[in-house]
Formats: sequence, C-alpha cells, structure tokens
Amino acid sequence: MGTKLKVEDVSKPSDPLIHLDPADLPPLPAPYNQPENIPAWPPLTQKTKDAVEASLDDTVAVGIPKPKSKAEEQELVRKFLSGLSKLFTKENNWTFLQPFLLSMEHCAKCQTCSDACHVFEASGGNELYRPTYRSEILRRIYYKYLKPGGKYFGKWAHGDIDLNWTTVARLAELSYRCNLCRRCAQTCPIGVDNGLIAHEIRKLFSQELGIAAKELHEKGAALQLKVGSSTGMTPLVVKDNIDFIDEDTSEKTGMTIKTPWDKEGADILLIHNAGEIMAWPENPGAFAVILEAAGVSWTLSSDVVAYDAINYGLWYDDFMLAKVAIKHVQAAKKLKVKKIVIGECGHAHKALTVVADRVLTGDLNIPRESSMTLLEDIVMSGRIKLDPSRNDFPVTLHDPCNMVRLMGIVEPQRRILRKIAPKFREMTPHGVYNYCCGGGSGFAIMSPYNFAHWRFNVAGRKKFQQVLNAFSDDLRPETKKYLCAPCSNCKGQLRDLLFHYNAFEKCGILYGGLVELIVNAMTEVKPGFIEWEWH
Amino acid sequence: MAKVNLGGKEMEIDEDGFIQDPEAWDKAVAEDLAKTEHVEQMLDEHWRVVNYIREYYLKFQIAPMIRKLCKETQCDLKHMYELFPSGPAKGACKVAGLPKPTGCV
Repeated sequence: MGTKLKVEDVSKPSDPLIHLDPADLPPLPAPYNQPENIPAWPPLTQKTKDAVEASLDDTVAVGIPKPKSKAEEQELVRKFLSGLSKLFTKENNWTFLQPFLLSMEHCAKCQTCSDACHVFEASGGNELYRPTYRSEILRRIYYKYLKPGGKYFGKWAHGDIDLNWTTVARLAELSYRCNLCRRCAQTCPIGVDNGLIAHEIRKLFSQELGIAAKELHEKGAALQLKVGSSTGMTPLVVKDNIDFIDEDTSEKTGMTIKTPWDKEGADILLIHNAGEIMAWPENPGAFAVILEAAGVSWTLSSDVVAYDAINYGLWYDDFMLAKVAIKHVQAAKKLKVKKIVIGECGHAHKALTVVADRVLTGDLNIPRESSMTLLEDIVMSGRIKLDPSRNDFPVTLHDPCNMVRLMGIVEPQRRILRKIAPKFREMTPHGVYNYCCGGGSGFAIMSPYNFAHWRFNVAGRKKFQQVLNAFSDDLRPETKKYLCAPCSNCKGQLRDLLFHYNAFEKCGILYGGLVELIVNAMTEVKPGFIEWEWH
Repeated sequence: MAKVNLGGKEMEIDEDGFIQDPEAWDKAVAEDLAKTEHVEQMLDEHWRVVNYIREYYLKFQIAPMIRKLCKETQCDLKHMYELFPSGPAKGACKVAGLPKPTGCV
C-alpha cells in the first residue's frame, strides 16, 4: 500500500480512494487457506463507474446516479449541509440528539474502537474502514461549516476538510460500509457511538436528499407500507402461502397445523419477518407446531404491514421506522391481544421493542416481547416433550447483534440449546461480544453490482472464521453441522456466505433458526424435521 | 439503468441483470437471460420451472415461495441449483422475467 489515507483525502477526486487487494486480507482457516478455495472478486465494470458514484473503494452499495451538472452537485451539497444542521437541533432530531452530540464532541481518538470493528480488521486494517474515519469526516464538516467561526478556528482545532460533492458522495457510500453492529460503541471508554454516527449519516441522506439503498427504501420499507410486506406479499398471497406451509408442516410432522388468522382476543399476536414465509417456511411452520403443542393462544394478523415484522427504517430513516411501528401496534390493538411477540428477526426486535418506544406512547404502548423468552418459557416449563438425542449433531449459535449486544437477550436461546442440543458449542467470542454476521443493517439483502463480494470478503469474513473455528474439531462434509441463527437477516447473510464458500458441500455446515431445532427434538413430531438439504 | 439486447429486443435491465418490464418478456428473451445465468440450453425441465414462476407471477405479482415452486414442479432444491446455478430466486426468477426479489428472502 502507498501512503496512509488521511481524512482530508476524501475531498480529493481520485478513482477510487482505496483499492482492496484480496491478498492483504487476513487469512481464513483451512480449507480456505488454499487460493483455489477462494472465489474470485469481480471488479466494477466501466459502465457502472460511468453511471454512478463509485469513487470510494472497489464496490458500490447505494449507487447514487452521477449529477448532470455542477449546479446539481452544489444543490446536493447545500441540502447535505442544511440537513446536517438539522441533525443538531432538538426539534428535528429529539430521538438521537443526545448520543449523537456526545459522539460528535467527545471522541478522544484513542482508537480503542478500531480493534473492536470486524470490518476494519477483516479489511487488513484499511484506514477507510476505521470506525473513526467516517465519523471524523462528519466531525470536521461540523466544526468547520456549522460552528460559529469554524472556517477560521475549526480547521486548526479539529483538522481541515473541504466540503464538496466528492466528499458528500463518498460519505453516503461510506455510511453503507458499517454494519451498525455497535461493537465499537460497546468498547469505547466514554461511550462514543460510531455506529450511531453512520446511522445518522444514512438518515440525513434519506430524509433530506432522498438518497437511500433501494433495497431498504423503495423495495423495502416503502413497498411494505404500500402492499403490506417488503417481500411484495399482499394479504391474499400471505394467507395462501401460510395455507401451503400449514399443509406442508402437517404432512412433515404428523400433527394437524392450522395457523390462526385475525383471532380477536388471542393472547399473542405473532409477527414474523415475512422473508421467513417466502424463503424459510420451515421457520413459521415450526413456530406453529410449538405454539399449538404448548397450547398457546396466538394469532397472525392479515392487516397490511402487520404480517411483516421488518422495519428497515431502523437502518436509515426515522420517519419510515415510526410509520411501520405504528402499523404493527395498531393491528395488535385492533385484535385486542395482550402482547406482540416478534419472531426470529433481530432488527425487528430492536425496532419495535426498543427504538419505537419513543413513538409508542399512551395507548399505543402495548407490551412487546421477544420470541426467545416465550420459547424459553415453553421449553423449560416442560410443556412440550423433547428428546435431545434427535439433535445429536454439532450445533453452534450466532448472536444477532440487535437482539443480543443491543438488547441483552443472551441466555434464553442458550438455555434452550443446552437442553435440546447435546453437541452445542459456543463461538469465540460470543454473547454480547459476538461479531456481526456481516449482513447487519440491511447488507444481507443488498447485492447491487459487486457489493455481495465485499460482504463475503470483508463484512462477513470474521463471522466465517468464527463459524469454521467453532466446528474445527470435525470439518468433514459427511459430519452434518448446524449453525443456529435466530434472525432472518443474519440467516440471509449466512446462507449467501456459506454458499459463496461452498461450505455446505466442503465442510457440511448448514444454517437455520432456533425453532427448527426445537421441533426437531419434539417427540410428538415425526423424526427428521431438519432435512439437511441446502436451502 | 442499462440497455441490452435480449431475444432481439432492446431491454432495460437493472444492475443485476433483471429485466425491468416483465410485460416485454417472451421465450426468446428467456433464452438470452438463461445464458447470462450460465444455462447454456433451456431444456424441458427448465421451462417447467420458468413457466410455473411466470404463471404464478402473472396471477399474484410476486414470485412463488421456493418450497411451493419445488413441490409444484416436482424439482427438489438441489436439482433446482443444478438447473439454475444461482438458485431459484436469483436465477430461475430472472429467466422468467420477474423483477429482483425484495425483502429478507
């Protein structure tokens, strides 16, 4: 590598700002220490580079169309700066102002956070991905362009930066090189939250400039509000799909499963991430088996939005977050349920139970609970009969960041696994010190251009190492192993990651949720609920 | 949005090669899309999968669940990956002229 990248370099046009050489990345464990087992990383095409802003690194996540004129560029820079000033006002940012200000004004630049960041580490310590690099750009803009006298004193006190379109366009992309896992915030001695800063940058771009990853906004939250689900399922389609799942699950388990819809007065409104219904139907199927066997009073809602727990606004836009959260709660109120239970989806957990707490005041504040604790109650109370010997294969657990580090739901899923999976082993590190799967903050569903390869090589690298290490006692493909990830977004990333490295064929590693493991151990169910087929 | 020639027509595709106008799809377009998915020749079993996806999409404006697709076309997932190497969602749906799947799928 050449000279060390400096913060002010971000303003200087070059193409691209850094280049990642796969040879500089930390080595993976065997068998991926052999070059022939590492798939190639395709470069961006010239066509892409001509069409969208692609001057950050070797990939593109957002893909902002290049402005057509200098005037258009200047207008975007102006909007950026006015949006940034709004982030520092109580009226416009009452939800996040306090931690944001603390993070902007009190970083001591000790770099403790850098050692905690999986992206920085997996990039071979590239300066661009240092958690403070992005924050420092914003901090310098703030001190120079927004503070009184900043043009004279800001640059001496805090370092110089030139605010131009190149800086703004790169900052937008750079806010999508962080998984928002907040491992950096956890380790910071004074509580500076670089993850939050990345989040606020995304928010500024979405709310003030209309720039967001289209998988999250146009094809995500906006689609959900329009048709009912980010998957595109309308109420008619979701009911039809659940009918199919009921039939399939009944056939597979020997139990009669009929999912209740819109049952007024049920104790629990269960909301799945709708991706489970489309791509991992055994997950909603297993939930139904457990709840029916345990005699729980539950229902799904067929109201638009209320059958999809996703709330992508959590990652990029406060308005979208609030709109979706309110729809979830309104459906629960309409059905007069006692509480909402969120299925195996990490970001939906944090969005609806923690973040939306600020919005759900008065009679909207109905109890919201994690499926982890509900399942723990059922499994530990003995209400369903379990035979752990049915799960006689190596199992490890991935901790979804939103659920575990950011909400403290650590033990319920572990107590379950210790009871039902005799060969359960932990990853190192785990629990609140886990590493993100690399799909966090929406990356799992973002694969534009060659971005998926950045996800596999950089964002997901640390997790892939951890998974291989957890199973290192027997990586032979004929020994089937189960990577348990109770989160749809994590599952999407882990599926793509394992597929990319062909780890099911090469090492026998399959992935899946928690409820599937529980049902696989239930004695009243036909053996073999987990099918050991790639999916 | 890039324009490419598919099945003798100028077609708009997104950055992952999914066509933007599902109405403009026909068999010749499908055959060219298949080539972009490393499917050299569309055999009967490819068509069975593609036609099922297509019919489902025209009815519901969304792709079928993968498990439903496998069951209805009597093609297990392993074989689906043999037919369409990038899988049913990214491969088969692309050939069937659907837009890219959305949400956490």
